[in-house]
Amino acid sequence: MAMHGMRGLSVFISDIRNCQNKEQERQRIDKELGNVRNRFKNEKGLSPYEKKKYVWKMLYIYMLGYDVDFGHMEAVSLISAPKYPEKQVGYIVTSCLLNENHDFLRLAINTVRNDIIGRNETFQCLALTMVGNIGGREFAESLAPDVQKLLLSSSCRPLVRKKAALCLLRLYRKNPDVVNVDGWADRMAQLLDERDLGVLTSSMSLLVALVSNNHEAYWSCLPKCVKTLERLARNQDIPQEYTYYGIPSPWLQVKTMRALQYFPTIEDPYTRRTLFEVLQRILMGTDVVKNVNKNNASHAVLFEALALVMHLDAEKEMMSQCVALLGKFIAVREPNIRYLGLENMTRMLMVTDAQEIIKRHQAQIITSLKDPDISIRRRALDLLYGMCDVTNAKDIVEELLQYLSSADFTMREELSLKAAILAEKFAPDLSWYVDVILQLIDKAGDFISDDIWFRVVQFVTNNDDLQVSAYILGEYSHLLARRPGCSPKEIFGILHEKLPTVSTTTIPILLSAYAKILMHTQPPDQELQSQIWAIFNKYESCIDAEIQQRAVEYFALCQKGAALMDILAEMPKFPERKSSLIKRAEYSEADTAEQSAIKLRAQQQPSNALVVTDQPPANGATSPVPVGQLSLAMVPSMITTEDHTSTDPASSQQNGSLTKVDPQHPSADLLGDLLGPLAIEGPPGATVQSEHNAVSRLEGGPDAVDGSAIVPVEEQRNTVQPIGNIAERFHALCLKDSGVLYEDPYIQIGIKAEWRAHHGRLVLFLGNKNTAPLVSVQALMLPPAHLKMELSLVPDTIPPRAQVQCPLEVVNLRPSRDVAVLDFSYKFGTNMVNVKLRLPAVLNKFLQPIPVPAEEFFPQWRSLSGPPLKLQEVVRGVRPMPLPEMANLLNSFRLMICPGLDPNPNNLVASTTFYSESTHAMLCLIRIETDPADRTQLRMTLASGDPTLTFELKEFIKEQLISIPTAPPQSPAPAPAPPPAAQATPQIPPNDPAALLAGLLS
Amino acid sequence: MPVAASAIYFLNLRGDVLINRLYRDDVGGNMVDAFRMHIMQTKELGTCPVRQIGGCSFFYMRISNVYIVIVVRSNANVACAFKFVVEAVALFKSYFGGAFDEDAIRNNFVLIYELLDEIMDFGYPQNLSPEILKLYITQEGVRSPFSSKPSDKPVPNATLQVTGAVGWRREGLVYKKNEVFLDIVESVNLLMSSKGSVLRCDVTGKILMKCFLSGMPDLKLGLNDKIGLEKESQLKSRPPKSGKTIELDDVTFHQCVNLTRFNSEKTVSFVPPDGEFELMKYRITEGVNLPFRVLPTIKELGRTRMEVNVKVKSVFGAKMFALGVVIKIPVPKQTAKTSFQVTSGRAKYQAAIDCLVWKIRKFPGQTEPTLSAEVELISTMAEKKSWTRPPIQMEFQVPMFTASGLRVRFLKVWEKSGYNTVEWVRYITKAGSYEIRC
Repeated sequence: MAMHGMRGLSVFISDIRNCQNKEQERQRIDKELGNVRNRFKNEKGLSPYEKKKYVWKMLYIYMLGYDVDFGHMEAVSLISAPKYPEKQVGYIVTSCLLNENHDFLRLAINTVRNDIIGRNETFQCLALTMVGNIGGREFAESLAPDVQKLLLSSSCRPLVRKKAALCLLRLYRKNPDVVNVDGWADRMAQLLDERDLGVLTSSMSLLVALVSNNHEAYWSCLPKCVKTLERLARNQDIPQEYTYYGIPSPWLQVKTMRALQYFPTIEDPYTRRTLFEVLQRILMGTDVVKNVNKNNASHAVLFEALALVMHLDAEKEMMSQCVALLGKFIAVREPNIRYLGLENMTRMLMVTDAQEIIKRHQAQIITSLKDPDISIRRRALDLLYGMCDVTNAKDIVEELLQYLSSADFTMREELSLKAAILAEKFAPDLSWYVDVILQLIDKAGDFISDDIWFRVVQFVTNNDDLQVSAYILGEYSHLLARRPGCSPKEIFGILHEKLPTVSTTTIPILLSAYAKILMHTQPPDQELQSQIWAIFNKYESCIDAEIQQRAVEYFALCQKGAALMDILAEMPKFPERKSSLIKRAEYSEADTAEQSAIKLRAQQQPSNALVVTDQPPANGATSPVPVGQLSLAMVPSMITTEDHTSTDPASSQQNGSLTKVDPQHPSADLLGDLLGPLAIEGPPGATVQSEHNAVSRLEGGPDAVDGSAIVPVEEQRNTVQPIGNIAERFHALCLKDSGVLYEDPYIQIGIKAEWRAHHGRLVLFLGNKNTAPLVSVQALMLPPAHLKMELSLVPDTIPPRAQVQCPLEVVNLRPSRDVAVLDFSYKFGTNMVNVKLRLPAVLNKFLQPIPVPAEEFFPQWRSLSGPPLKLQEVVRGVRPMPLPEMANLLNSFRLMICPGLDPNPNNLVASTTFYSESTHAMLCLIRIETDPADRTQLRMTLASGDPTLTFELKEFIKEQLISIPTAPPQSPAPAPAPPPAAQATPQIPPNDPAALLAGLLS
Repeated sequence: MPVAASAIYFLNLRGDVLINRLYRDDVGGNMVDAFRMHIMQTKELGTCPVRQIGGCSFFYMRISNVYIVIVVRSNANVACAFKFVVEAVALFKSYFGGAFDEDAIRNNFVLIYELLDEIMDFGYPQNLSPEILKLYITQEGVRSPFSSKPSDKPVPNATLQVTGAVGWRREGLVYKKNEVFLDIVESVNLLMSSKGSVLRCDVTGKILMKCFLSGMPDLKLGLNDKIGLEKESQLKSRPPKSGKTIELDDVTFHQCVNLTRFNSEKTVSFVPPDGEFELMKYRITEGVNLPFRVLPTIKELGRTRMEVNVKVKSVFGAKMFALGVVIKIPVPKQTAKTSFQVTSGRAKYQAAIDCLVWKIRKFPGQTEPTLSAEVELISTMAEKKSWTRPPIQMEFQVPMFTASGLRVRFLKVWEKSGYNTVEWVRYITKAGSYEIRC
């Protein structure tokens, strides 16, 4: 209607449309822009009509993609025009041309506010729409109360309130402070009582945003959501205009279920039952029909319902119903529906144990593998990969192999990789595995990535009788058959026959194989030896550097005799890569709600299914080998163990960085890491136990010496052993704010902390990893004297696969190095588990790095003179490290290095602020003088306005410098070498009790 | 003989194919799509006439509203390809009666196909001379050989002419009135700094002829160029005439010019083709007489106002005059209002090219008109980007004036029959890229 009668505008638009080419169009536009500029310049004579017309033209030009960098003033000024057509164009152009950070918007705030609080509904709508589109922080601050008032007012028409809700949503996203949690929760609940579905839909959008940030405050909304859902599902009191193809407002249904997914559980049994009834109804009532639009709508609802069912951990019956439904979906002709069915099955697999039920559809899924649509094939492949376990591995892998020969090239590599992984994970016996891989290599040929055949080689290297065949396997170009039990000579003969014909890249591998054959020939066979030596001799002058080097080296090694054994020992096991599938499955989740649910589960999923059944323990880490048998040939076992331990800090680190993004659900990648090292090794018990023993042996020291509150010890009687090194986890958490504090096969305790001045807020995440509940859960705080701690109530039971969050408030009263301890116990089955865990509420958490310029530093430094405010000490037995590393270490403790203050480059000067209730903010200055000739000693000077603080901080830094907790123990469990503690002790001078104490503590 | 083209396409500005011809099989039919995608729809259109996409070279040029694209896969001679295009366009123009644009192509499909078949064979350029092609590719009806009525015109014999000693001229031409027209056309390229010093200056000139002469005449042209005069004085052993001599660079001749005689005597002698042709081209870099001096002063007064004063001085003879003088004075993009005062001609602001355009239809020599303009700028959102001040551009034509000072000393015509001829000589100087920085 606004366009009506604007002849100039329509002429201009038709001119543009008649342009033959881009160049003409540009010329026309430039001409028009010149005209508009000219008109805007003599504003005196510009009537409202003309102004409107030119601003419309500007908008049209802007929408065609040309730069319009003037006239914003005119557009904004139109907002305050009294008539609708002008106001409308003002609002529209402003919201198109300007973004939230534009200065011009400030000019408009007042006018917009006047429109919002005015009584004219159309103007209110215009204003709300504009704010809802481009509102920024400033709008949020000045308009939020008015918008809230509008939303709640009962006198407004639904039309306005709808827009108000969406506008508030935008403002909330820009500035979450606009919605006061305490006051708003009740009103939100009130809003959900609304009968008008339009307003309800908008409010639900708002609710989704609110609960995604903080679900606790909105518990009261939960029953209302369920009620709304019930109303929709029963089709009660739904106006005609809100039904879409007979489905009552699918948008609202989806949003409501989305909102429900943000609440961790539903405790009220009545609500829960109602909700399940509704879900049941949705699951039952959805079918595939002809009409595409109807299908889209009903499927959107259905899949959201599925997500909700998964989230709520419904009983098995419901799950099987879901799977049956999905089974129906994957049998449909329509590819989109089939895709959705497959994808959701994969998702179900990730979060629940519906595996058994899904297995019934295996045949159908395998058919989908031959679908003409590649995305469906990929989904099917993912699903097959996910659902594979020991029972169906043989079928699935064979199916994959068959499919491999007909699969298209883009999928072959992935397919072969997956087949290889499955075969390896679930191999019933080795010969089957090797057969599979042989077939795989035969069929896929070039599509086998290097990884796979490395894996095969590596896998087989751990089994003596297959050693040679492994290397032949690598050379799939001629596919020699596997011959276990052949005499070395025959094998050599077979290999050597091929030598003249193979490529240069193969020769080195064959040479290695010869060397190995030679090594394994016990007792030595003189004839074979001379033959092989002759070959080495021959290749010593080969033109290819690689071959030549190998020949020379092997020849030299052979003559050394015994040393050969060490060097040609078995290949170390490769650390298993994270499965690309799992990674992809995680990243493909666009939906935050479901994602969080999946993450939650993924993190809790126990690693029980992934065990090679009848394989003898392949490496030393899993086998309970007596120490004496650990000959030099078992080097790999050491390496693997180390690998294993070093993955743990990494995983918790990953964990930590992710929690920052998504504070509710601490872990995402854990599944991969959890499954990774365990895939072949079997249950972690043995490894961990031995490792743990070592740890506790190391930590036995401080217990004996120092009986204070610092007790990081687990009770030895615990039959349940923790995963990973508790002390290490603690030290890692001293440096960062989130991560895993403790983990065992049943429970995982994550921690997330926020520190502000002398206050701290920690959240403990207690995650039950099992399908059975954990009972008698108790957590007791043993705070040291300087910390005031309040732990919120810990529930007595943790339901299966659920996570409980326990907030913990910390107030620092005064400086001290003592550590708080959490006494945690729970009962699983008949096992009573009790652990005492140090909490990472340590001194450095209350530090705040602060840069101090030279002109302030020196007066401060001079004013704090002499003990007890300024203390100096010569520290010996420092772990030697380069200066930058030390600077990094100090930085990680929140001590800010101030470079350039000290003229001597070997010295470090740092500053920080310490917060506690007694000292408030206290500046601390640190100077460390190192001796470049002797890195094990340094002189440290500390100054602050509080004598205790100076002393405590000095001791704290000293502890950190003497032993560095980030380095993992180099030789864990079964190593016969003296324990690291013993190595460290001699370095500590006996005359320094503090250093001794610190050394023992670490 | 180098390959020049595997295929040739004629496209309109939208990129639709008007007509095309594939000469070799080594390029596919979808080549034009590649051109459209990678050249026409990018900003690079018009920046570089030669592009390589996927192993194929694309040479293109735009003539009025038609893009002519040559696609070639092998290592082609680019100069040859472009020369071919230019010649082909000249040929089409002579066939269509002067115009070559989208409509002309649409109206002459059959003829163009016929010509395209003739002027290139398997990628090798063939005879492109309009005179010869017109002998056998005609637009008239063809008389049937079985017609009883004998034709009144002799059947033209193209083969004879092409293979004869003088390939470019038919024998037995007869004109009632024997006339020769000779035009010297020069275009001046100039780049001058704002201080008035010449940064770059040259003149490219060409001599165009139109001959309506009977029989096989032999022509000789004398110019006031340095080498020719020196040689002449040497031959006649008399001191060179005082007066201005011109040094010509990069002279190229039409194929009819006898180069051996040029090398020995330094005279331009030739048997001209019938009709219109370009006798020679040359370039001059020194001693250029600039026809106009421009003195601009452009002042920015604050953020929203500008003052422009331009004085243009004509420095050729007072009796001469320039025609179609256009002076384009660039102004910033955010120009909103302009007001002018000019002593002659008219001025206005053209937003499409961001210029003040001052037009003077007739500009006498030794005069000095001025323009003073006030420009108001609109304030913009973005921080005002410093204006780059592009140069002032000028267009003009000055008849009977040569910027190089080149003059025709004589044009002699010899023919066996010894008829009298009338010779007409014209000079004209145009602006090439005539730019003055301000």
